[in-house]
Amino acid sequence: MTDFAVWLEGSAVGVWTRESSSIWAYPTVLTLHTVGLGVLVGANAVIDFRLLGFAPRLPIPSLAPLYRFMWAGFAVNTVTGIMLFASNATTKAKQPVFYIKLTLIVLALIVTAVIRRTVERDPALRIADLSSRPGRRLAALSLLLWAGAVTAGRLMAYL
Amino acid sequence: MRQSMKNGKEDFLMTVRSRMSVASALAVGFLVSVTPVMGHHSAAAAYDETKRVEAQGTVTKVLVRNPHSWVFLESTDDKGQKIEWQIEMGGAPSMAWAKDALPIGITVKVAGNPSRAAGSHGITGATFTKTDGTPVGPRGGRGEYTPPSGRGGGASLLLSRH
Repeated sequence: MTDFAVWLEGSAVGVWTRESSSIWAYPTVLTLHTVGLGVLVGANAVIDFRLLGFAPRLPIPSLAPLYRFMWAGFAVNTVTGIMLFASNATTKAKQPVFYIKLTLIVLALIVTAVIRRTVERDPALRIADLSSRPGRRLAALSLLLWAGAVTAGRLMAYL
Repeated sequence: MRQSMKNGKEDFLMTVRSRMSVASALAVGFLVSVTPVMGHHSAAAAYDETKRVEAQGTVTKVLVRNPHSWVFLESTDDKGQKIEWQIEMGGAPSMAWAKDALPIGITVKVAGNPSRAAGSHGITGATFTKTDGTPVGPRGGRGEYTPPSGRGGGASLLLSRH
């Protein structure tokens, strides 16, 4: 991991992100990472809150297009995340909170996929059934995991 | 998808119950997220912004990098011990001038907020002057800073913290 981190930090992407004083380098990459986060976690939150019982008149299957927004946000954050990591790889690779963040993201994505499958498998689910106990548990878990991932990400700048 | 009227009451009860769990989820989420957000907006976690420290030393190293550049000064205390001042700079706007305006070997005066870490010599929010009092860099004398024409000063404010 250390060899890889050293290589990544010295790569063209790592050097540019870290050392360019252009406003289009680090500041823009970091800002896009935040915007991508907003879209990904925001779209997730809409579905999670719906499953928790908010906006009960909104048919849950009609929210399916939000998954495209999630993928877009996830794609932006994968690219910008690699750039940000590359800019300071040797330090970030040693931070436990970085691995906590990655783990929380993986778990959150799994829960997101489970929620999607549950909804898609039974698009005619009635509101009362959809907001059933398992549905609400999944939604609450999803919100907590994403909040945890966001928190771990923020902490990377301070720990 | 909308259910018939007879499910309305059930919906309502469900909403009340689910609101309780939502409220607790929100509370936890808010609590875990609010602390780093506050840190984000200020350097107060690592530096004491109510205190001010001044030093004079020779520039030994300038690390021009994102998100914050670093300037290292060497000076000697009363007992002849060497001190390394570690000065954390702002964001990208300071990168452009730090390397040019603070060449290795130049002696400068620095003033800023000291690190909270005991025994450390960290400074942030620093202003630099030459030994004759001339400000170094566009933010050398922060009070007199005027944004360069063409590019507004707004970007500097936005980028001074990551």
